[in-house]
Amino acid sequence: MDRIDDIEGRILQNRCVAPGHHLAAVKLARPMTKPRPGQFVMVRFHGADIFLRRPFSVYDYGRSVLWILYKVAGKGTSHFARMARGEAVNVLGPLGKGFAPLAGHSPVLVAGGIGIAGIHLLWKLTRGKGALFWGCTSADDVGLLGRIADGGPYISTIDGSFGCRGNVVDLLADHLGEMKGPIQVFACGPEAMYRSLAGLLEAERIPCQVLLEERMACGLGICFGCVAKTLDKKEPYKRVCKEGPVFDLWQISL
Amino acid sequence: MADISVRLFGRTLRNPVMNASGTLGYGIEIEPLWPVDTLGAYVSKGLSAQPHHGNPQPRLREERSALMNSIGLQNIGVARFFAEVFPLFRKRQTPVIINFFGFTEEEYVRCAEAIGDDGLICALEMNLSCPNIKEGGICFGKRPEDVHRIVRRVKGATGLPLLAKLTPETEDITAVARAAYEAGADGITVLNTFPALAVDVEGMRTAARGGLSGPFLKPLALRAIADISGALPIPVIGTGGIMDAGDALSFLMAGATAVQVGTATFIDPFTIPRIIRGIDEYMEVRRISRIDEIIGAARAQDRAI
Repeated sequence: MDRIDDIEGRILQNRCVAPGHHLAAVKLARPMTKPRPGQFVMVRFHGADIFLRRPFSVYDYGRSVLWILYKVAGKGTSHFARMARGEAVNVLGPLGKGFAPLAGHSPVLVAGGIGIAGIHLLWKLTRGKGALFWGCTSADDVGLLGRIADGGPYISTIDGSFGCRGNVVDLLADHLGEMKGPIQVFACGPEAMYRSLAGLLEAERIPCQVLLEERMACGLGICFGCVAKTLDKKEPYKRVCKEGPVFDLWQISL
Repeated sequence: MADISVRLFGRTLRNPVMNASGTLGYGIEIEPLWPVDTLGAYVSKGLSAQPHHGNPQPRLREERSALMNSIGLQNIGVARFFAEVFPLFRKRQTPVIINFFGFTEEEYVRCAEAIGDDGLICALEMNLSCPNIKEGGICFGKRPEDVHRIVRRVKGATGLPLLAKLTPETEDITAVARAAYEAGADGITVLNTFPALAVDVEGMRTAARGGLSGPFLKPLALRAIADISGALPIPVIGTGGIMDAGDALSFLMAGATAVQVGTATFIDPFTIPRIIRGIDEYMEVRRISRIDEIIGAARAQDRAI
């Protein structure tokens, strides 16, 4: 059983890397259990009118520095975006079950928009062995890419302002035939992307793991608030924070 | 180390701090952080005779310093609880309070009957905040006469000590507690979350309904604890809004024999062990040797403001 700890951290940097997107580096007071790709942390903000912690994917981690890439979407992330170097947060983690690569399969990573935050650590660790497909709204979002451009990801934008015009699942469809040997897909993005992926991968039942997002209170599996509906008839609602956040695409109810 | 053990239903608990039902999962989930035998007793997630799937999303909503939840009593049912969950508490030798519920009186009775006597079970705790589907959905715990009837039926179905967990949504909570006592309840747990609603202003619609919890509950709970423990000769377990050791001590001083910590664990999962240490430190510093000297101490000086 991996240790889960609550560790104080200080913001080293917290920069806007694309419109509405921030990348934060948090220096932890001591090392945390090494997070696996797909795992997440619960961040506590102090002294703000924010009651609960907020969940964030681990974008990267090393030498007690935790990297979090986030999109400013609500009260918690708006507060986070205003935080400056030196300010304190508490980090609980690492949490949840990460991605589980199958032996003998080439990893194919698919990210939709800010979903890159949940995919990046896996990309970093599998670099050179697989392919990354990333779908954005426009070239603006691609600004996030500066640091992951090496390795040559396939990129689509809805407006065609960068890379291939269209959505990322169509882009993946165009290249699926070129993949050699068995592949395993790892995806993080909106639910609509998962539905398209299911349509694309269904015929060959290609193994696919998806990272789900849900509002959470505890992150530990003790409140049962963050459930996702699965096809398990006996117990359909599974905790995203505990049984997930990574689920088998073929077992969730879309 | 001060002696912070408390007596409850003829049993000694190592400390007076428990989790509130449904805020520590099945216990096993907290073990990567601290062992469950840290608790004075573990209070189970609400169990029913048959498993319940619970509600679809959304189940959670943050309000100002409060949490609104509508989990919908998702649980694996009594049978699986004893087969799969209970062995952890046997291994840790941790006393267990079994929280349970039903949507009809018969379901409560069937659930209580299904819980066998085990040396580790400290008590049953019946959740009286459930809607009675045979009575148009009015909650079982709202009217003293309903509480009296259902507590008496459940008491007839079990030989275990019975705690009645009350809802704050009632006209006279002391009258409800008295009805439970007169029907045979061995103790009272006060109080449950407060029923609440949120509005989505942009969409001009109801955004959520659920039970509201958080530190705002503390003064409401304290008053109920003081009134009920002053009126009845049975133990009161206090819960609602406890965030730190000072809060827990105030509950004990108002007359609670033990306390339950809920929402605070979500914000800081180490809250419970910290509260236990805080109670110990308070007693050490003041050279209080027994926790009995604290329990109810504030009630003597109680006066209206």
